[in-house]
Formats: sequence, structure tokens, C-alpha cells
Amino acid sequence: MKNPEPENFGAHSRRTFLKSLGTVAATAATAQVKSVADGLEKVNAEKVVGPDAVAVTLNVNGEKLKLMLEPRVTLLDALRNYSSLTGAKEGCDRASCGACTVLINDAPVYACQKLAVEAQGVEITTVEGLAQDGKLSKVQAAFVEKDALQCGYCTPGFVMSVTALLKKNFHPTAADVKHACAGNLCRCGAHPHILQAALKAAGVEHTSKTEIVNYA
Amino acid sequence: MKAFQYATAHSTDSARQLVADKGAYLAGGNDLLGLLKEYLISADTLVNIKSLPGLNKIEDGRKAWTIGALVTVAQIENHADIKKTFPGLHEAAADVASLQIRNVATLGGNLAQHSRCWYFRQRDVKCLKKHGDLCYARNSENRYHSLFTGNDCISPVVSSLATTFAALDATAIVLRDGKELRWSMAELYAEAWKNPYAHNSLQPTDLILRVEIPTTRTRSAYMQASDKHAFDWALVSCAAAADMVDGRLKSPRVALGSISPVPHQSEAANSFLEGKVLNDATATQAADLILKDAKPLEHNAYKMPMAHALVRRTLLKLKGDA
Amino acid sequence: MPSWPAETKYISHSTARVDGAAKVTGKARYSSDIQATGWLYGMILRSKWPAAKITDINLEKALKVPGIRAAVLARGKEFTVRYYGEEIAAVAGTSKQACLDALRAIEVTAQPLPFVVNEADAKKADAPRVWENSPNYKEPNARDRGDVNTAFGQCAAVIEGFYSTPVQIHNPMETMGNTISWTDDGLTAWSSTQGISSVRDGLAGSLKLEHSKVRVITEYMGGGFGAKFGSGVEGALAANLSREAKAPVRLMLTRFDQALAVGNRPSSFQKIKLGAAADGTLLAFEMDNYGTAGIGGGGDAGGGGGGADIPAPYLYKVANSRVKQSAVAVNAGSARAFRAPGNPPASYGIESAMDDLAVKLGMDPVEFRLKNDPSKIRQREYALGVEKFGWKQKYQKPGSSPGVVKTGIGCAGAAWPAGGASKNTHGEAQINPDGTIEFRLGVQDIGTGTRTVIAVVAAEMLGLKPEQITVKVGDTRFPPGPGSGGSTTCPSISPTVFDICTKALQQLQTQTGIADARGENWFAACKKLGVNSLTVPGQWIEGLSSNPAGGVQFAEVEVDTETGLVTVKKILGVHDCGLIVNQLTLESQINGGIIMGMGYALYEERVMDDLSGVMLNPNFETYKLPGIADVPDIEVVLINMPERGVIGIGEPATVPTAGAIANAIANAIGVRVSSLPITPAKILAALGKVPPATA
Repeated sequence: MKNPEPENFGAHSRRTFLKSLGTVAATAATAQVKSVADGLEKVNAEKVVGPDAVAVTLNVNGEKLKLMLEPRVTLLDALRNYSSLTGAKEGCDRASCGACTVLINDAPVYACQKLAVEAQGVEITTVEGLAQDGKLSKVQAAFVEKDALQCGYCTPGFVMSVTALLKKNFHPTAADVKHACAGNLCRCGAHPHILQAALKAAGVEHTSKTEIVNYA
Repeated sequence: MKAFQYATAHSTDSARQLVADKGAYLAGGNDLLGLLKEYLISADTLVNIKSLPGLNKIEDGRKAWTIGALVTVAQIENHADIKKTFPGLHEAAADVASLQIRNVATLGGNLAQHSRCWYFRQRDVKCLKKHGDLCYARNSENRYHSLFTGNDCISPVVSSLATTFAALDATAIVLRDGKELRWSMAELYAEAWKNPYAHNSLQPTDLILRVEIPTTRTRSAYMQASDKHAFDWALVSCAAAADMVDGRLKSPRVALGSISPVPHQSEAANSFLEGKVLNDATATQAADLILKDAKPLEHNAYKMPMAHALVRRTLLKLKGDA
Repeated sequence: MPSWPAETKYISHSTARVDGAAKVTGKARYSSDIQATGWLYGMILRSKWPAAKITDINLEKALKVPGIRAAVLARGKEFTVRYYGEEIAAVAGTSKQACLDALRAIEVTAQPLPFVVNEADAKKADAPRVWENSPNYKEPNARDRGDVNTAFGQCAAVIEGFYSTPVQIHNPMETMGNTISWTDDGLTAWSSTQGISSVRDGLAGSLKLEHSKVRVITEYMGGGFGAKFGSGVEGALAANLSREAKAPVRLMLTRFDQALAVGNRPSSFQKIKLGAAADGTLLAFEMDNYGTAGIGGGGDAGGGGGGADIPAPYLYKVANSRVKQSAVAVNAGSARAFRAPGNPPASYGIESAMDDLAVKLGMDPVEFRLKNDPSKIRQREYALGVEKFGWKQKYQKPGSSPGVVKTGIGCAGAAWPAGGASKNTHGEAQINPDGTIEFRLGVQDIGTGTRTVIAVVAAEMLGLKPEQITVKVGDTRFPPGPGSGGSTTCPSISPTVFDICTKALQQLQTQTGIADARGENWFAACKKLGVNSLTVPGQWIEGLSSNPAGGVQFAEVEVDTETGLVTVKKILGVHDCGLIVNQLTLESQINGGIIMGMGYALYEERVMDDLSGVMLNPNFETYKLPGIADVPDIEVVLINMPERGVIGIGEPATVPTAGAIANAIANAIGVRVSSLPITPAKILAALGKVPPATA
């Protein structure tokens, strides 16, 4: 599936309503740091990059994103603010809510606590990479069917966590689902339906115990 | 975060040199990035140590297992043989934070992590640990803090893996200035007991290399109590380990976490348990002994009965099916 | 009088959320996702002092940080700050990193002032004043009914208790904020809001713009729970930054900001005295309550007058009562309406007192309520709940369940008085000759399923399928509707869509001669429109919606009496739903309310530090939300009452949960923990297991 544009992030995009952020030039404070590092570089022959923007290549959903990023830019920041991949959300930026959950080589991680420079050379999957040719994945379809979402802001994170679970474990129990999703928060309270959706995606149907009574 | 440079080290020597000049080791990054985002520490260079050779193995050495410092908590959790040999370690690993964190968090980082005290973590409060004048927690909100303290800072160690390693009598191998030091868990955190500014005994360029766990104790167990059922720091954590010979404990150890700057053990409790049959009475007495001389504060005294219950239950878990 | 159809294909059934696919694929663009052409990142500098006189702010160095394009002050250079986190200034730049560097380069000259952050201290006469010219607390007047003193004398049983609830933070998953573009042509705000009109009103007012020059768009937003009305300080800052930088500015609050500065539910400290006759009839009620709405001691803080006031004695008719309550100001962020303002603390307090009195009387808690609750609907709900929950089989005397882990059950009720419709709801449908139809309403979908409700009602009325209805919401260019609050949206939009559809069919008949354009006649009828589309306006009409709503909930808990840990095993919600529009999304709403109520009962509280005056938990680490491992088995009984028309459910669903859980815990351990959140520490203390401090 093709990631949303633009292709040359950092240059003027031909699209009229989406444009990238500019890159960041060196700050005065970093100049001093840089000179020390240059010295060390000679000593150790370890390559020191930054603090100015460096070329970073991210493999996201099977495509290469070529960006210029400072080392302090997180993977989440790179996706949301330096590309159009806003599927992963920022709920806390402190690795405590899971709205930014993406897969790195099939393992769920918090994109907000991963430096973009360190997310190179791996396969990153975001929520935008799940549907194939416009068809929802099993997990996505189950979420919609069971209404495992309300405002939807935590949803991409949960979808990624459940997707990762089902890749490893085709027959998860409810306890397995809870263990896999413990790191995702939801304020709207979609948890019961999320659990049903995860199990449904694994082929376990849930019969609703909701009772409808007429008043009269 | 402030701007920083980034380098990947390929040898411990170059890693140390890069860190020596206002740098910081970057492994999983959970703790480090959190500290940087709140401007609690400063680092001009982040030194990626994930490419250092030989630090990411789990090895069964029969007399002792070795777990490299770069092994992730998820790898520990998922290791089938660790689950069989050190069930307490498996349980502790499975309870760490969330899966997303366990996937990147390393053993070394988990042991070295800084205080979680909410005054320390508060960007605008200059508490004692940050070289301020006052330990705020002592006189104010101390519900998460220590029952045992060696200095004016009352922030407890929160690494549940450290609690478990203490019970297993594991040794952390730390590289300092090119030489390997062998530290028990008590030694790894001894500096935090003495010095209010310290989180552990590591100096800025020290590097945890691996942890060695003797297989002496064939049984181990771990439990924690938290407000929430998952993804929540332990209010109190407990680990116990022992060998069992003819139904009696051999080399028993029980340790408590989140109640002291070091994983808390008691000579008296461990010696008392030696040679005993595990039952309610002996477990209770051990719990009494390990909590002796605790000094509860205004808001953390609940940790006394909570820790007492956890010690009893964790010990009794050692009985297993026997 | 119009009426809903008796036989329905979609209404009262379950239709999957029409925007579900957009949300699960990441296609849905929230306010924090908007990437307008040439957009800049914005951030706010906040006060690190709980109280201070600001005498100078220097933005020069900030403006020199590479990438920064604008810096503005929040309130000028000289003003008084009254809480930790109050806005001081804001910057906009080409990256988050530039903004972070710029904030640290802003120089603020401040004289710290004395402060007070806890309610009990703030009430004292010698406490530092939050507002120089008024005391933090004013002794309230009593609201009397009958003669409480005599009545208490006549009671067979009287209890006195002190029940308290903390300040609760909304903490929606998406924080507050906007992307604002302000050019000479006008201002567009993509806002994370529950009220697009309130944002337009706020921006037009604070920036002195004509309404016609301000457009607010909220296609998707990540939850609000009452906090997201108005444009706020952050909206004005984003607009001013945009003007100065000549570029759109996306300024979303950080989680830290969100916890400090954009609203919360006031605390309550309820001293309650309750008495009843031997047969269980309530005779006397006395309450002395205070709570804090932060620095906002009054105004729009919700919960009735005075900001922290709560309805009392809430559900129950008591012939003799005396109620005194007042807000106390502290140096902390002000309250804002938060899902059922005033009701959860009210329900928690009175329902705890009811259970305590029931125990003293030796009466079953449900029987005691049935004796005193005048609401026929709740009487029915208790009866249904008792049956489904197995109340009679499960009920044991307090503390009598055997073993270390004790089980207990409890219940509580809700009364949501609002939830009626806003008559000021408008909409339109554009019907195209190819039969496609688009509804446009200036309302918001805050996660409740508004879009789906519109599609379901339209499909029903027009004989089409929900997926054939295109729904657009969240634009001030659309016919206006109410803000999404008060549980009013569903009863507002459903009759509106009904009206639009009725008119559409009439107009189709007039224009095309086809008598009944519904269902299989639809496409033929539309084709007869020729080339032009037909736009049909409509509005809310009488007879199809109503209010109020009730609701009762039952909880079953397990309490480990050695560790104090609580596990909620099960919650049953029995709610009257009027005419159920969409069962699937209704269930989600009720689940959500229950889970939020559980957080209130067990985990959530704003912790202010007396020594430093800061909030200690402006994050998700120590401000704890229920997680999937905490959520119990939740069952709901929906009472379908089509004769009442459409009512709202969002708020009643969260009101009784904490009371039910608190009562279940008291039933389990035989002793009352009367302060929320009910933590293991408090349970162990109530059980007498906590030693005194020695350090």
C-alpha cells in the first residue's frame, strides 16, 4: 500500500494542502558541542552525527522515507511532523499511553520513546500499512464490527498491539489479549469491545449479553 | 530534549571515551529519553551501545546462567528455559511496565534506571537528589517511598529485576575504567543507601556488562502489589529463592523492592529460614524479621502490612506442588 | 404530532460506526494531525510558580532561536500568576525542537507569592489568598427544608459520615488544541473541540473578528468529556502566533499542559448526616460540603452554582433537610464541566450514606432505596438489576464473606436532569440526481457516534441503507447545532434528521410527482430532479425526544484484606435509553461511562504538593486510568422506551459507578472507606492494619 505523500519531504510539495516542515539549522549552543565531538571523532574513529539534522532513512510500510532529522527527533515526531503518516498518535510523549504504538520488525514499541536515527534498518509498520488494496485487515475489520473504538484516538495503537499479538499467537486467550494490550490506554472505555474484537479477529465469536427490555 | 549528538560505539573503550565528556549510554532509551525530555539530566552525546559485541546473550552455564546487559526484558520474559530454571525472574520480567517497553528495555537499563520519585521527576522542583536543599517527599507526599533509608533522600529502588536478582544472589559485572567489578545487588545500590544524590553505585562511565545467576537455588518466585492490575509501578515487590532439600529450605533468600534505596534483605530473616519447613508460621516470622526496624512515614505505612503479606505469599509459592 | 416508526429496520438495531474504517486505518485526520500548507509547530510556556507576580518577560532570545517565526505573550508582561501551569507565553517555529529550545530561552522575571493548594488549609482565615480581594472561602448559607433538628430526634437510626472525592482530570487521549491559520481573508481553526460554535465565538471575541471571518472545523477529535468548549487561552495564542508568523500554527497542548490548565472535576468533602424511621423512611438529611474548583471559585465550573456545588440529597425525597455548600479557591487549575458535572460526587456521597444507614437499620440496601426513591424508572431498574445480578443470592452481611479475599456487592443510582434536546439544532441534506445524499450538520462527533446516528435515522426515514448516507459534521459553515455536552446531541440531531427527511420526501413529491420516494423509489425520484440537486434544510422538532435519564448500577468486587488490592469482578448497568437509536454505539457509551466511573472510584486523583505547590502527577504514570486488565465483566440492560423518544446517555452512564463500587467494597470488608480513590492504602487503614508513622 502506498504511504500518503509527499515524496520529497522538506521541499515544496505539489499538493496544495499539505506541506512539510522546514529543516532545522544548527543552534549556537550546539556549535561548542560539535567541536568537542570532532576531536573525539579523530580519537575513536566512531562516527558522531548531529546535533544538526542528518539524513535518516526509515522503512515504513514497505517504502523508504528519506528525511533530514536532528538526532533528538523521535520516530513518532518523524512520522507525524516530518511525513504525512499521522496514524500513530501522540497521547503523552512519555511512553505511558500507547497511542503511538508502531511495530518494529513485528514487535510493538512506543514510537515516542525511540529516536528516529535508531529506527533505521528495521521494518516499521504503522496503522496505515495494514489494509491491503483498500481492504481492512482482519483486526481492523473486527474493530469496526465490534465497535472497539469511540473517539478513535487510541485506536491505531490498539490495532497495532492486537495485530502484533495475532502474528505471534493465533489462538490468544482473553488473558493473552489483556497482557498484550496492557500498555495501551483508552479514556473512552472501549476496552470491553476491544477484547471482543481481538478475539473475533482470532476466530472466537462473542455473544452479547446485553439485554433489551421494554418498559411497559 | 536539548540537542545532542549521536554516536554508535563499537568497543567499550570508545563508548567510555564518548560518554566521559558529557555523554550518556543509550541502550533501550526508556529511562534516558524520559530524563532528557524533562531536562532532568544533560547529555551532549548519546552513545548507542547496542552494537557492543557479546552483551546480548543468554547463556546456560550449568553452575550459573549469564544474561547480557543488552538482553531485553521481553527476551527474558519469553525465554522458555529461564522460565523453568528461574521462575521468579520470568514472573518479574513479565510484569515490567508494558510489552512495548519490554521490547526495547534492556537488563542493564532496568538495573541502572533513575529514581521514579515524583519530586525527582518533576522538572520544576529542585529536590535533594537534584542537589537541592530538601527532600520534599519526607515531609509531604511520600506514599510511594521508602520504609528503610540510609540518608535524607527517601526514594526507593524500583527495579523489580534487581529485587529478584537479590533473592537469587546474582552478580552484576560492571566495567569500570577497563576493569571488571563483580557486584552483588547490595553493592550495585550501596551508593544510593549512603549518598542522597545517587541512584545506584554506577559512575557516569561505568557500564553493566552482564548478570550472572547461580543455579544454587532451584526455586524462585516473584510477586508485586500495584494499584492497577498491569502497567503500573509496584507499590511493593517481593522475590524469594531457595533450594529445597528434604522439604527444608537451603540457602533461602527473600528480598523486597520499592521500599528502600537498595533491594531490601535481612540477615536475620534469611538465617531464620535456613533449614526450616515452609509454612504459615515460618513465613510469618520471616516477614516479621525482614520488616523489623522499618520506619514508616506518614503516607507509606500501608506498605508494612502489604510487604508482610507479599513476603509470606512469595515464600509459600516456593513450595510449589510439594 | 410526529412520531418514530413502530417497525424499524435500523433504529434500535446495531449498525457499525460509519467512520470506523477511517479511524482504524489512520485515515481520519484529527485536529492534531492537520498539516496545513506551510504549517508551524506551536508550544506554550507555563508558569513554574504556583503563585507569582510576573514583572517582565523577555522574548528576544527565543525569537533568535533558528526556526522560530513568532513569539507572543499570553497576558502582557505584568500580571499575577495563580497556579502552577498557567500560561505565560507561546512560540511558533518550524519544528517541535525549535519550539522546545525557544521556550527555554524565554526570560521571565517573577516574584513568587505565597500559595495554598489544599482545600482544608485554604479554608482557614490565615491562608494565603488566591485572589487578593476575596477570601478563599465564604461560609455558605443553609438551604433549609422542614426542620432537620427535630426530625433527627425522631429517627430510629442516624449515621454521620465524611465522604470525599478528589479533583479528577478529564485527560482525553487527544489533548486540547488547534491548528489555526489567520490571514487577511479570515481565520480557520481546525479545533479539537466539543463545540465548534463556542470556539468561533471565543476566537471572534478575543481577536475582535467578525463571525463571518472565522471558520471552525472539527472532522475528528480525540475525546473531550466536557473540557473542550471555547477557544481557550491556547486558541488565542495559536491565532496570534499565526498572525505574526504569517503561517498556520498547530498548537496542541502536551499531556503535562492538559493535566494542569484546561479543567477538571471539582473535589468534594461531604459531611453527611442521614436519619430514617424504623421502617426505613428517610426523615432527615444534613450536608455540609465544600470542594475546590481551583482558582475558578465560581463561573462556568459546572455542578450548579458556585462551581463545586453538588445536587443533594440527589435522588431522594427527604422532608427535612439542610444543605450548606461552598467552593474554596486554591492555587490550582480551574474546574470545567466534566461528564455529568456534580453528579458522580453527589451519587457517591449520598449512596455511601444510604448504604451505611441501611446497614445500621439492618435493611437490605436495595430495599432501603426502593422505599425512598420516588423515581418509577429507577424502581423498575433496581428490580431488573436485582434479578439479573442475582442480588438476593449474592448479598451477604458486611464483612461476612469468608477468607482473606472478601467479596462484596453494592449498588447506586443516577439521575441526569438534562439530556434533553437543544431546540437550536439545524441541518440540511443535499440530494443529488444520482440518488447520493449528503447530510450536513454543524455538530461534533466526540466519539459518541454522532455520524452514525445521523446515518441510521436518515436510512430509516428514507428507506435507504446507512452506507448510502454521506454524513458531514463539524464545520461552522454547516447549519448550526449544539455543542456536544449535557448528553443532548443524540436527542437534538435525531429529530432534526427526521425533519429533514420528512421535508425531503415532501419536496421530492412536489418536484417529481412521486408520492413516496422512499426505498426502491428513491433513485427514480432523484433522477427526476434533472440536473440540479435538491438541498433540504430542517431543524429540531417537538415530540421525538425528551429527558431526563435515570440509571442504576450494581458492582461486585473482591478485596484482598492483606494487601488492600481491589479487583472489580463485574458491573451491571441498567439504563433507560428512551428510543434506542443504535444499540452498538449505545453499549460503547455505557461501557465508557462505567469505566470512567471506575477510574474515579479506584485510581484517579490530582495530587497537589503542599510544599512546592505543583501538581505531582501531570502524566499517565501516576495519574492512573483503568487499563484493559482492570476492566471487569460489564453487562448492560437497556430499557427501550420508544414512547419517550430519543434521550441522551453519555452522562448518566458514569454517575453511579463509583458509589456502587464503594458500596461493594464496604460490603466486602465490613468497614467504610469514605474517600475516593479507594486505594489499597486506605483499605488497609480502614481495616486497622496500618501502623503509625515512626519516621
